[in-house]
Amino acid sequence: MTGKVGAWPFVRLKLRLTANGLRGRSSRIALFVLGALFAGFFAIVGYSSFAIPGVADSLFAAESALPLGGAALVLGWLFLPLVFFGVDESLDPARFALLPLHRRTLITGLFAAALAGLPALATLVASAGMVDTVARLGGPAAAGVQAVGILLGLLLCVAVSRAVTSAFATALRSRRSRDLAAISLALLAAAIGPLQLAALAGAQRADWDTVASVSRVVAWTPLGAPYSIGLDVAAGRAWQVPLKLLISLAAIAALLWWWSRTVESAMVGTAGSSTNRTSASTRSPVDLLLLRWAPRTRFGALVSREIRYWWRDARRRANLITFSIASLFLPISLAVSTSSPGGTTIFVGVLAALALANQFGFDGTAYAANITTGVPGRVEINARAVAHAIYTIPMLLATATLIAVLSADPARLAGTLGLLLAAYGVGLGLVLPLSIRAAYALPDTPNPFAMSSGGGAAKGFLTLAVLLAGVVVSLPLQLIALFTAPVWLWIGLPAGIAYGAAGYLIGSGIAADQLDKRMPELLAAVTPNR
Amino acid sequence: MSLGGLVKRFDTKLAVAGVSLEVPAGSFYGLLGPNGAGKTTTLSMAVGLLRPDEGRALLLGYDVWADPTAAKARLGVLPDGVRLFDRLTGPELLGYHGLLRGMDAATVDQRARELLEVLELGAGNRTLVVDYSAGMKKKIGLACALLHAPRLLVLDEPFEAVDPVSAALIRDILQRYVAGGGTVVFSSHVMEIVERLCDHVAIMSSGVLRMHGPLDQVRGDKSLEEVFVQVVGGRVATGSELAWL
Ligand SMILES: Nc1ncnc2c1ncn2[C@@H]1O[C@H](COP(=O)(O)OP(=O)(O)OP(=O)(O)O)[C@@H](O)[C@H]1O
Ligand SMILES: [Mg+2]
Repeated sequence: MTGKVGAWPFVRLKLRLTANGLRGRSSRIALFVLGALFAGFFAIVGYSSFAIPGVADSLFAAESALPLGGAALVLGWLFLPLVFFGVDESLDPARFALLPLHRRTLITGLFAAALAGLPALATLVASAGMVDTVARLGGPAAAGVQAVGILLGLLLCVAVSRAVTSAFATALRSRRSRDLAAISLALLAAAIGPLQLAALAGAQRADWDTVASVSRVVAWTPLGAPYSIGLDVAAGRAWQVPLKLLISLAAIAALLWWWSRTVESAMVGTAGSSTNRTSASTRSPVDLLLLRWAPRTRFGALVSREIRYWWRDARRRANLITFSIASLFLPISLAVSTSSPGGTTIFVGVLAALALANQFGFDGTAYAANITTGVPGRVEINARAVAHAIYTIPMLLATATLIAVLSADPARLAGTLGLLLAAYGVGLGLVLPLSIRAAYALPDTPNPFAMSSGGGAAKGFLTLAVLLAGVVVSLPLQLIALFTAPVWLWIGLPAGIAYGAAGYLIGSGIAADQLDKRMPELLAAVTPNR
Repeated sequence: MSLGGLVKRFDTKLAVAGVSLEVPAGSFYGLLGPNGAGKTTTLSMAVGLLRPDEGRALLLGYDVWADPTAAKARLGVLPDGVRLFDRLTGPELLGYHGLLRGMDAATVDQRARELLEVLELGAGNRTLVVDYSAGMKKKIGLACALLHAPRLLVLDEPFEAVDPVSAALIRDILQRYVAGGGTVVFSSHVMEIVERLCDHVAIMSSGVLRMHGPLDQVRGDKSLEEVFVQVVGGRVATGSELAWL
């Protein structure tokens, strides 16, 4: 009964879903256009950087830059979806569970669909700069080989991001492996720090021979292999090409196999969805809901629910974990690399607030309950901020302590904490109105990394804009801190708290007004596509 | 409840094209219509979940859009196609709704326990609502709508996915509620339930009210199902199609 199904229908389905998602929604079209601009910008910058060694006619530079640049692309595809962007899962594997499709067909199809998107296109264009370089250095034959290489590289990038996010999603859902997955996710996020460090250290020392030897090693790993084959032809080492092709293909095949395993378990839903505590409780419903110290009021109920949600909702939990790790590792990486920690503190504080950028998107249609019960905007906004602060402020305290300890200057603790709190308050002030005006729907899947198409671009753009704005708004305080360094030790904490509180009060006031006027529109914005 | 000329347009599609409806206080009002008729859209606009393009909605004399606080305080809603805060357990969810309604904790506890027992959801049940069955989710949603003893209940398909015993139970609850002076508006596809419960019905199709009024007047001497099919004009039998089935 079933005919042969290729990958093409999946690609068409994905494009059709993307187009339908945009139809008649001007805000989503705007986001999509922004995403496209973003991708275009990345593609152009990437292409020109990879083309530089060719223009400079330096085989040596090319041999250092191409494998390392390629490895950076692959690592970017590995980390960015996990930590920042999520993956576009407009084709949710679970939807195909009832169709008579072979696993191979399904994976090929989903893979092809994953390739049909702006990020993949931008990556392809960027890495085409390598073909440019190789063509100038080694002629058309070498360029042809490199073209094959960057195509393989693209397949590798997409396979890595799919396999890893899917594996984490599966693991985070199952009761047995959830904590392990949370820890390894944290470690993975943490690995960004040391990687950055290594890159910084390498760049600072600018010892090109070391870089070249690292690059030679990387070229033999799956990360760099596909990106170095054209150069091998250009340098007269064509015998390496088949070996490296083999390495790349084997890596891609292994990743796809891994992906197909986790997709399958996601489809049949083997992983128990959440804690199933069977023992009955005799405590009263209100006591069960409220945390011990929470007031028995509307505000207390909202805060308690939010606090439980930050832990029980896989999406929010992934968010908290990655932030807590980033907040510990950013100061370390900067402390080691000698630059001033002022910028980092601001960055960490604003980054903390960013978790609330799409706070209503996390709730989805469940937010309707707060509309029908008529929760005033001010109470809603304040309760959400308080719940988040209860998780965040201890982490900021830890960051401040860490910075003070690493700089062997315990006296700095208070001043640093002041800067962090100021940045957090200002960040909240920026993010809260955005969370109402720029809310977007998250797909209704259990995968915490899943994004509807355009969602990733939206998130990336918002993140960048808020980070920039947060740094700008906190700049005056940072300058004061710099110029009044000795006094800052004493006034830093109160001044920072005052600055942050002012930022928060202004922003949350705007947000509350907005919310009172736009509750139904907000609900529509966070309702997943139907 | 009084709806005046409600209109909602999605993109170019007119989902609700000017619905005006008077629901007398103390009545049990059934809203019928084929799939896609605009029932959910109408009820969402009536309770303040969806902003109408035109028209207004008065709940017990308060305008939902002009005076939402007063209107919503007296209203209980069971929306359709909307999730609950389902990572709470049943008791937690009821506690949440109760406190959001500004009730005092002791009353919330007592009523929540009673509702959980009566609806057979278990007052000590610590399963998260995500892991409930579809019918249990409907029941806990209904419990959330009833908790603050509103004067007006708007329920979108309350009997969908509910087993016969629970359905009888819900019918009984609702009948007692109306006997006590409450007003119920609900949408349903189950004619028997509507015929048995309602004193008023309205039939919608394609975003327009086709017929409305007291049940006996709408029904005449036919059965409600016959009237429905006649008004809506669908087909109830297949011809030569689907022969391969
Ligand atoms: N958010 C939306 N965007 C676009 N169109 C919508 C939206 N919501 C509803 N519609 C359209 O409005 C029409 C009315 O839908 P509605 O959900 O009100 O029907 P219904 O009477 O509740 O149907 P059912 O009996 O199946 O629940 C349908 O044609 C639907 O496609
Ligand atoms: Mg409906």
